[in-house]
Amino acid sequence: MIKIKDLEKYYATEDVKTIALNKLSFEVKEGEFVAVMGPSGCGKSTLLNILGLLDDPDGGSFLFNGTEVAGYNERKRANLRKHNLGFVFQSFNLIDELTVFENVELPLIYTGVKPAERKQRVEEVLEKMGIMHRRKHFPQQLSGGQQQRVAVARAVVNHPKLILADEPTGNLDSSNGNDVMDLLTELNSAGTTIIMVTHSEHDAKYSHRIIRMLDGQKVTENILSEFTH
Amino acid sequence: MLKNYFKIAFRNLWKQKGYSALNIFGLAIGIACASLIFLWVQDEVSFDDYFANKADLYKIKTFLADKNSINTYDATSGLLAANLSADIPGVENSARSSVISQKLFSINEKNLNAKGNYVDPAFLDMFELKFLKGSPSTAFNQLYSVILTQNLANRIFGSTDNVIGKSVKINTEKEYVVSGIIEDLPDNMSFEFEWLLPFKVYEQENNWLEYWASIGVNTYAELEPKTDITAINKTLYNYISTKHKGSIMKMSLYPMSRWRLYDTFENGKEITGRIKYVKLFSLIAWIILIIACINFMNLSTARSQKRAGEVGIRKVLGAGKNRLIFQFMSESIITALIATLLAVLLIYISLPFFNILVEKELLVNFFDPLHLSSLLSITLLCGVISGIFPAYYLSSFKPVKVLKGLKIKEGSARWVRKGLVVAQFSVSVILIISTILIYQQIQHIKDRNLGFDKEHLVYASVNGNIQKNFDPIKNELLQSGFVDNVSMSTNTPLDKGSSAANFSWQGKNPENQVMITYEGVTPDYLKTMGISVKTGRDFYANTDADSTNIIVNQAFADVVGNKNIVGSTIQWENEPLTVVGVVNDFVYNNLYEKSSPLVLYASASGNYLNIRFKRNTDLANALPALKNIMAQNNPSYPFEYKFADEQFEKSFKTETLIGELAGIFAALAILISCLGLFGLAAYTAEQRTKEIGVRKILGASVQGLTASLSLDFLKLVGLSCIISFPFAWWIMDDWLQNYAYRINIDWWVFAIAGLAAVLIALLSVSYQAIKAAIANPVKSLRTE
Ligand SMILES: Nc1ncnc2c1ncn2[C@@H]1O[C@H](COP(=O)(O)OP(=O)(O)OP(=O)(O)O)[C@@H](O)[C@H]1O
Ligand SMILES: [Mg+2]
Repeated sequence: MIKIKDLEKYYATEDVKTIALNKLSFEVKEGEFVAVMGPSGCGKSTLLNILGLLDDPDGGSFLFNGTEVAGYNERKRANLRKHNLGFVFQSFNLIDELTVFENVELPLIYTGVKPAERKQRVEEVLEKMGIMHRRKHFPQQLSGGQQQRVAVARAVVNHPKLILADEPTGNLDSSNGNDVMDLLTELNSAGTTIIMVTHSEHDAKYSHRIIRMLDGQKVTENILSEFTH
Repeated sequence: MLKNYFKIAFRNLWKQKGYSALNIFGLAIGIACASLIFLWVQDEVSFDDYFANKADLYKIKTFLADKNSINTYDATSGLLAANLSADIPGVENSARSSVISQKLFSINEKNLNAKGNYVDPAFLDMFELKFLKGSPSTAFNQLYSVILTQNLANRIFGSTDNVIGKSVKINTEKEYVVSGIIEDLPDNMSFEFEWLLPFKVYEQENNWLEYWASIGVNTYAELEPKTDITAINKTLYNYISTKHKGSIMKMSLYPMSRWRLYDTFENGKEITGRIKYVKLFSLIAWIILIIACINFMNLSTARSQKRAGEVGIRKVLGAGKNRLIFQFMSESIITALIATLLAVLLIYISLPFFNILVEKELLVNFFDPLHLSSLLSITLLCGVISGIFPAYYLSSFKPVKVLKGLKIKEGSARWVRKGLVVAQFSVSVILIISTILIYQQIQHIKDRNLGFDKEHLVYASVNGNIQKNFDPIKNELLQSGFVDNVSMSTNTPLDKGSSAANFSWQGKNPENQVMITYEGVTPDYLKTMGISVKTGRDFYANTDADSTNIIVNQAFADVVGNKNIVGSTIQWENEPLTVVGVVNDFVYNNLYEKSSPLVLYASASGNYLNIRFKRNTDLANALPALKNIMAQNNPSYPFEYKFADEQFEKSFKTETLIGELAGIFAALAILISCLGLFGLAAYTAEQRTKEIGVRKILGASVQGLTASLSLDFLKLVGLSCIISFPFAWWIMDDWLQNYAYRINIDWWVFAIAGLAAVLIALLSVSYQAIKAAIANPVKSLRTE
């Protein structure tokens, strides 16, 4: 599903040029659950942003479902993004002014789903995440664990083929963190591809494969469990 | 979708109640103020729209050149109208009208004055008046007939029923039969008549109407639709000379659409008339609106840090830039809509006061499609103007950056914001300076030594028996103990009418065609007016003794250039006159100019009666006594008088109005600007709480912090002053050029305006600065 080759990304400030990604190559198959690990500043978030079509690489190739997407313009990226990708962030990134229901509904609005169907799909996913009773609440009225559930609900409501999660448990205690990991595993079993950045060896164990990075490069790959179609 | 935007917009407004209130209040003031101005503009530009055929209606202008300049008149010969229709193709109709005059209407002991004109029957065809009774085609069938407005008919007869056919005595002389009743004329119309009489009657009394050289009536023409007026004007230009050999009088058509707003001529050319105020006020309306919109722009971009996260998330979830622009625009439009609701309230509350100010009876009606659509357009425009920049700015954030929690680099937005604050305050300072200078100029003229005493001076038209009974009236008034002097004159104390170039004297350069004003006065005129004699003497009490003598003013003496003008001879046409006195110059006609040369000649009669009350007279007792004496000597006319000082004040109506409006606009501009500044200061303080907390822990003083926070804003206001001073000077210097007698622009006016702006700005930012500076640093650090 994803194939990157010699991916490069630089950040240039006035005095230093940082190489965030240095000729990084790997492949992720459809249905896989991949964890990305590495010390702080090694380029994990940068990688995820590029995979999530939020940012442009400075070099290399990025095939998404066999199509070269490096160099897509903003409009094309946004279009690909809203139909295929779901995001979960460490800091939840819910919109404070919207209720739980409205936050989850947002991706459906942007893909042009009709109101009646929206209601049905949002309620379905809220039910599944066990936060249906909170649907009229605003994010500030929820605990961190509940907020991350909402974020996951929002990431999956559009049935994306790929979910990108950047330290989804980073701001949660272990019990809430395990809940979120269970949710992701469940989604993966149902067929969704997941790429997750994490600092936690514990969380990484939920995945099929761990890609370890250092200074913008891949150092090792551990296969934890055999991934089969 | 739209519902979603509205919901979020409302929640955002609600969450930031304080800022929203500032925005909405500022916009509401701006919209209300602009709406009132536009209402006034609409009234001005719709002048004479009462006549559906307005586009085809014209009056004839006459141009008469003298040595120095070309004078422009509305007056024409009485012979013109009939000849126009006959001689000039394209002229469908033409009619004459006398100049407006006042007449006394009497019925069974009841007397009342009303204004009106004598008009040709064709006038009724050309100007479609709405006849409630009678008809335009038959109204003037009889010679002694009169058409009344509904209002006048009610005043005379108490009703409009069964009035047709009744008779009313006019000027105590002749009975006229009421032949028509027309709807009252609207206020925004060039005509002001309450009655119309057949021009034929006027013809009987004025035989000068039969000469081409005498001009004194208005001539109106109705052209066939879409007639080429340049061709007609070409014929008209030299038309008089074809009728009257050697006449240098020129004529042209002047369209009704220009009567109200353009009808000001200088040297035979149309110059900017009232339209200049219509344009000026429209401009100010837009400026006030934009000042209000700026608040919205500034507060939105200042708060952008808060919205950045939202923008990032929405973009990640697939929102395109256009969609976000649309969302932000809908927020600003909703804000504008709420502001408009408040503005409607403000309009209703302030309209009565505004009407008093502009002396109109403007009405708003939000069911009137024009008013409603204008208001909605203003709303939409405000929404768009205030929303467009923030929308583009906010929607351009890159999701990667904002989600990383990076502080967005404000760059352009910060400079734009500062620039806009400077723009707001520059306009405010210009308005403050203009207000001060306009008031100074008005005061300057009011305080001007007029050369006569305008206090305690009353004048009235000479009508009925006043002329005949002048001596008893004068004696009784003097004996009443209230009155110092009584006299008559051709014109009122403030105006002089006629002037001529046919005066000559020894040594006069024949090339010098200077116009000399002349005025007939009865003995004691100088004393009544309080004009002082410089050399020579006043007129004798016996007018006959001065029949070939004149008194001149200093300006005349200067023109003649003879130091010992008293005793010398001045030729008026062929008549030799002896100068017996020179009076100090006194102001007449144009209160802003130096007095022009004037000749006073002794006369036994006049059109105006002037009465000088004693200095310490109690007018509450004196006026009834005056009325009583007049009623006995002139029983058939109600005695209507005017105070010279009040009339003097009235002649500054335009200036005073401009001064008042400039003051109001200045106050509103500064108020709105300060609302914005208050919001920005609040936001800056909020953003810098952490920094302030750290500084305080490190030992910064409250005063130091307050000063440093306030200073940033005051610098902007200071910059506004520097920018606005030259503009203000340039604008006001240009305005003052309209007045020969004018103030010098003093530097301290600028200093005061600048200081006022800085102080007001300081007031609005210091509250926030002090609040931030005295906050407990531990608390503010914890909130981060
Ligand atoms: N906008 C930017 N401008 C300049 N340098 C950047 C920018 N974003 C990231 N970097 C640099 O690129 C490198 C990779 O950053 P990245 O955020 O991908 O690290 P990370 O692996 O996600 O770290 P962490 O585990 O702390 O989240 C770092 O050295 C970082 O300083
Ligand atoms: Mg990271």
